[in-house]
Amino acid sequence: MFLEIKDLSVKIENKNILKSLNLNINKGEVHAIMGPNGSGKSTLANVLAGKEDYEISNGRINFKDNDLSDLNIEERAQEGMFLAFQYPVEIPGVNITPFLHSAINSKRKRMNEEEIDNLSFAKLLKSKANDLGINIDMLKRSVNTGFSGGEKKRYEILQMSILNPDLAILDETDSGLDIDALKIVTDGVNKLKTKDNSFLIITHYQKLLDYIKPDYVHVMVNGSIVKSGGVEIAAEIEKDGFQKFQ
Amino acid sequence: MNIQDNYLKNKKNIFFSENKDIQSHREKLINIFENDRFDKKNNESLKNINLKNFIDFKYKYLIPEETSVINNNQENSYTIVSVNGQCSSFKDDKIEITKILDEDYNDFSKNDTIKNNDHFVNLNSLFLNSGFKIVIKKNNDIKIKISNIITDDDLTIFQKNNYICEEGSSLNLIEEYENKNNSTSNILNVIKLEKNSQLNHFLIQDNSPSHNLIITTHSSCKKDSTYAQKVYNFSEGYVRNFHYSELIETNSEADLQGIFFLKDNNTSNNKTFVKHLAEDCKSNQVYKGILNDRSKATYFSNTHVDQVAQKTEGYQLSKGILLSDNASYFSKPELKIYADDVKCSHGSTIGPIDENAIFYLRSRGMSKIAATKILISSFINEELSSIDNEQMSEIIQKKLVRYLSKVK
Repeated sequence: MFLEIKDLSVKIENKNILKSLNLNINKGEVHAIMGPNGSGKSTLANVLAGKEDYEISNGRINFKDNDLSDLNIEERAQEGMFLAFQYPVEIPGVNITPFLHSAINSKRKRMNEEEIDNLSFAKLLKSKANDLGINIDMLKRSVNTGFSGGEKKRYEILQMSILNPDLAILDETDSGLDIDALKIVTDGVNKLKTKDNSFLIITHYQKLLDYIKPDYVHVMVNGSIVKSGGVEIAAEIEKDGFQKFQ
Repeated sequence: MNIQDNYLKNKKNIFFSENKDIQSHREKLINIFENDRFDKKNNESLKNINLKNFIDFKYKYLIPEETSVINNNQENSYTIVSVNGQCSSFKDDKIEITKILDEDYNDFSKNDTIKNNDHFVNLNSLFLNSGFKIVIKKNNDIKIKISNIITDDDLTIFQKNNYICEEGSSLNLIEEYENKNNSTSNILNVIKLEKNSQLNHFLIQDNSPSHNLIITTHSSCKKDSTYAQKVYNFSEGYVRNFHYSELIETNSEADLQGIFFLKDNNTSNNKTFVKHLAEDCKSNQVYKGILNDRSKATYFSNTHVDQVAQKTEGYQLSKGILLSDNASYFSKPELKIYADDVKCSHGSTIGPIDENAIFYLRSRGMSKIAATKILISSFINEELSSIDNEQMSEIIQKKLVRYLSKVK
């Protein structure tokens, strides 16, 4: 199993957010989690990425044969996990290019791979940026600083394509995107998809799933997955909303 | 030993002791010390320090054997080594360096912007034992680098320097303070900018824990002149940076900026004060601090706009990062505006490093320590990237790397 979440319960400040959640993702699969506001979707994404504000009160998460509780945030990233943020953080003064260069090399170092030099990285970055319709001038700016909502999401996908993760978690990447930006972003995801990597896509709406075809759709309500199935569930939600699952 | 006894005992070694006017001024200062109860609560020059250490001191001064001024003619640049607060006299067609004179003391003692209620300035006037005067002659563009060296342990340097930038002149002044011995420097810089002159003043402070540095600057700007000061404080010993600026004629500017990097139990007190006394003048006061361990800092900024100073633009900003729960930074911006057509603002933001930004960077594979360091660097990136002197930039970067190496 690539990612195995077993009986996971999570709380923050004594409030239970995730309750006995189970989810298995195999290599090469695309899973979508849909759910109403406050159902715990973003908490799940943050817990997987290792955010330290949460307390795991029960259960376990295995990723690529590692018990995730043994890995801190950066070790999870270096092992091939990537979280595309719902609200990417603005970091003025940290230039995109050296930041991404350092990020890719930290991963290569852990994998005992040779670090990528400046020139090769510049070429890689330029080519990936072109694929995503990102202006080269944007790469001279500070991380997410002064970006529009669409630019931030596109930049998250650029980072994902550079880091080439084994498991990418997309936390409401579609929110705030117009239809053209949504297409660019989803094209980027589709280009990256192979039989060796997996995706966990968190969304409210079926629209995103018109562009990225999931193998499985899960409905999350009140901290638990209440229904799992194929893409037909998304259509069901689009038609009837989440009410019937609550 | 009380101030009076200390003064009387060492009078023969103090500058201008024979001048009756100066003697009379000093007697008044002694009275201030004798009568003042040192009300720490209402006097920002006294916050976070044990004034007793600075008042009840053992006076010791040594006249330096050797000082130098090197003129690098090709680049209009000069290197000055100031030893125990003194430097050699020098004269050419661009600059003139001399000892300070009685008249320079008297000139300053009449200025009431900073002398009131600032005990360190009063101590400087009382025990003055060193200093120099530099005149940049009309229409010259000059670079000066001053290395301030103290030769022996236990020295108490009370130094007053006068800088005069004559009309149309431009001075790029770099001052380095890197003292490793157990000593105290109390330095007062009095700077006069004549019409259409400019002074870019950089102060790099990197003293050892046993050295106390108290620097006070008073600048006055005439028409179309600009005084720009940048302070980089990496010292491990106590540093006080108090800088006052008066914009006395139209279209003049004062830009007072500083960054301090504190750790361990160190303390730094900072103050900037700009008086707008004429129309169409601009001021900028920006201080940023990074505080680790149990370090403490204060920053007081003040913009005073006189009623004649219409069309004033005044900006103040204070920002601080606390890297430890035990570090503290007290910031107090003030505006006093007596004119009605002005643009003024102030702001202050102090807090721990942004945890969301740390999480974001770590989620891309960066270690927590690397993420913290990159965020500290980004906090001061604007100030560092605006240094247009390559040599200065390298010096500051090296010191920043050293400071960051201690951040855990």
